[in-house]
Amino acid sequence: MGDGNSNASSSSRAGNSNNNGNNRPEWLQQYDLIGKIGEGTYGLVFLAKIKSNRSKSIAIKKFKQSKDGDGVSPTAIREIMLLREINHENVVKLVNVHINHADMSLYLAFDYAEHDLYEIIRHHRDKVNQPINQYTVKSLLWQLLNGLNYLHSNWIVHRDLKPSNILVMGEGDEHGVVKIADFGLARIYQSPLKPLSENGVVVTIWYRAPELLLGAKHYTSAVDMWAVGCIFAELLTLKPLFQGQEVKGTPNPFQFDQLDKIFKVLGHPTQEKWPTLVNLPHWHADVQQIQGRKYENAGLYSVVHLSPKNPAYDLLSKMLEYDPRKRITAAQALEHEYFRMEPLPGRNALVPPQPGEKFVNYPIRPVDTTTDFEGTISLQPSQPVSSGNAVSGGMAGPHVMPTRSVQRPIPMGMQRMQPQGMSAYNITSQAGMGGGMNPGGIPMQRGVAAQAHQQQQMRRKDPAGMTGYHPPQQKSRRF
Amino acid sequence: MADFMTSTHRAKWIFTPHDLKEKYKAANHRAKQALEKYGSTRVEVNIDGSFAYAEHAIDARENGDNHSRPKALKVEEEQLLRAFYEFKIQDVCDAFKFPRKIQATALIYFKRFYLQWSVMEHHPKHIMLTCIYAACKAEENHVSAEELGKGIEQDHQVILNNEMLVLQSLGFDLIVYAPYRALCGFLSDVEEFSGAKDEQLGMLENIHESAKAEVDKIMRTDASLLFPPGQLALAALWRSNEAHQIIDFDRYLRSVLSRQHPTLNNSDLAVALQAVYSLVNKLETPTSKDVKHIDRKLKSCLDPGSHDKSKKRKHRSKESSNDILDMS
Repeated sequence: MGDGNSNASSSSRAGNSNNNGNNRPEWLQQYDLIGKIGEGTYGLVFLAKIKSNRSKSIAIKKFKQSKDGDGVSPTAIREIMLLREINHENVVKLVNVHINHADMSLYLAFDYAEHDLYEIIRHHRDKVNQPINQYTVKSLLWQLLNGLNYLHSNWIVHRDLKPSNILVMGEGDEHGVVKIADFGLARIYQSPLKPLSENGVVVTIWYRAPELLLGAKHYTSAVDMWAVGCIFAELLTLKPLFQGQEVKGTPNPFQFDQLDKIFKVLGHPTQEKWPTLVNLPHWHADVQQIQGRKYENAGLYSVVHLSPKNPAYDLLSKMLEYDPRKRITAAQALEHEYFRMEPLPGRNALVPPQPGEKFVNYPIRPVDTTTDFEGTISLQPSQPVSSGNAVSGGMAGPHVMPTRSVQRPIPMGMQRMQPQGMSAYNITSQAGMGGGMNPGGIPMQRGVAAQAHQQQQMRRKDPAGMTGYHPPQQKSRRF
Repeated sequence: MADFMTSTHRAKWIFTPHDLKEKYKAANHRAKQALEKYGSTRVEVNIDGSFAYAEHAIDARENGDNHSRPKALKVEEEQLLRAFYEFKIQDVCDAFKFPRKIQATALIYFKRFYLQWSVMEHHPKHIMLTCIYAACKAEENHVSAEELGKGIEQDHQVILNNEMLVLQSLGFDLIVYAPYRALCGFLSDVEEFSGAKDEQLGMLENIHESAKAEVDKIMRTDASLLFPPGQLALAALWRSNEAHQIIDFDRYLRSVLSRQHPTLNNSDLAVALQAVYSLVNKLETPTSKDVKHIDRKLKSCLDPGSHDKSKKRKHRSKESSNDILDMS
């Protein structure tokens, strides 16, 4: 984002009555707002285009003021300060930071990525009904590891890798390039890493490493590698590898079901293979619950349908090594034999270099055009929007998939927009037009935010809602 | 930690002495002009994010009475006042028993902030508190503004009101590299280098402690805006060793250079360390008595109305926030 001072522009004309009813911040003038593409705990994500260069799409992530009336959201601060320091092809690029002084909210502008692994996997599972081709899997995985290796060598642990946080660029110079996103939970190792639960943060458990499930207090880069292993398997099978039922409760509850799912596939961890296992709090606390069970080693290879001799299987099993100290690192994984055999990984993961391979047209991200930057919903029916230039250009973009783009108008009372794809920026669904920008700076704002917060708390009790995956009811809701 | 070599700290926040001088002068000059033009130097952030000087109706001018007009602070007075509050930062952080890293971060935020603003434009007491608050957030030691305000009997709203201004003035470059960690590294290196035996290990421990105190002092000087943290740590180690004389420092420096920076000139490093050393020697720790008259001047610059209760009206600056920041 270049020079912070000149880019951290301020604004939002607000409070005064002589602004022709236009409550938009001044910096907003440089963007054409297309609509809302995500919504969650910290705020909303919008799709916009830069007016001076309409071919350029930008995702704008809006952070509300922190809920407890304690100034700028710490999550936003963390994400910005890390992203200011890093620069890598496989990490999402923060291009600007904008401030709305009226309600002390922050807007982070990123290069827009049309796809994410969550949507790509879902498309293959539900629409294409066939696996992702080998070239694409390998290229996605290689680029993910490449970005992660960069982060780890800069002492940054992501801590919340999951398919929806792994973005893939659509049409353009960077078509098919992987971008690791959402650094709201990322940490520099050097500072003491508090357990996520202590920060009051809730993330999906499906990609959580066993040492964390067993109560390890310290995060290492190995937790990210476990998540990569889970994502690798999901790319191969189109199903989450360890789909445990999350136990809700305070704080850091013992996730028995998640461990159970892991042990069923990988067998029981032993002290022999994982000497520090006995030091983990939950191992002792739940000796009977865990160790009382007999686990047949079902065999990872049968779950992912790979021969144990296959290098892909070898790499996967090294990522899913129980002992975090023995788990393969990102740097080692990049050197693995799997990446040196055909098909070789490429920069455009979505389009294989060889002709003849079937090209999959991935759907574009749904956009809710009824919501503006303030988070207020206008009462127009939503429009299908292409990634190209649909709104103002009128021409359909090259990737328009009609079946995908059609959206239902969102009923006002519902307040829950298209959950699919919304999780791309890790803002799991949340109720709320409230808590948005309050241009007048009227005290009501805080009350509304508090209300939204309550709703969100309630939603957290819904197991499906917080995983970032599809709550079951949405499957039937669609189409 | 992320790599210093590619950091915003290295790229944007290490200056030459000349740069610093110019920046301090420019901020002072701008505030002086505002005082002449608007009768006040206080900058307010409008709801739309633009900055404006609070205009004060100057009745005195009409009377030709120059005495009641507030006088601007001199560059040196600003410097002394900053030094006062920089010491206060360490005071407050100690009172809260915050780790050294936080106080160093807060100090650097404070120093960076006043490269762009004059103390006449934003009261250093408010900025000091806000920098501590922001440093806590950035270093994952979150303390609520209320708690912080309560602990030192200050209105916490002041902190919240200034938070965005501070973050913005820092350009959101919030990761800073303090010398404490580099110091740990050098000490364990020294241990190996000198093949320290048991009794010496104890002495090295003493050196470490006094070197940390040296870093505390170094951080309050301009050295923290002039040199990378590794050099600051070496300078602290050098100063601390002067008293203890445990390490053959010259030989150690040569060894560090030959192992890590074969291209770097020994004398360049020596000059840098020498410069840090003399900055620490010149470090002032003004007491509240020392700055009392400056503080009084500051008050009348920031808020002339506090004396004569003249009506104020706000002058809307045409400049956007960016212009003001870029002027520095």
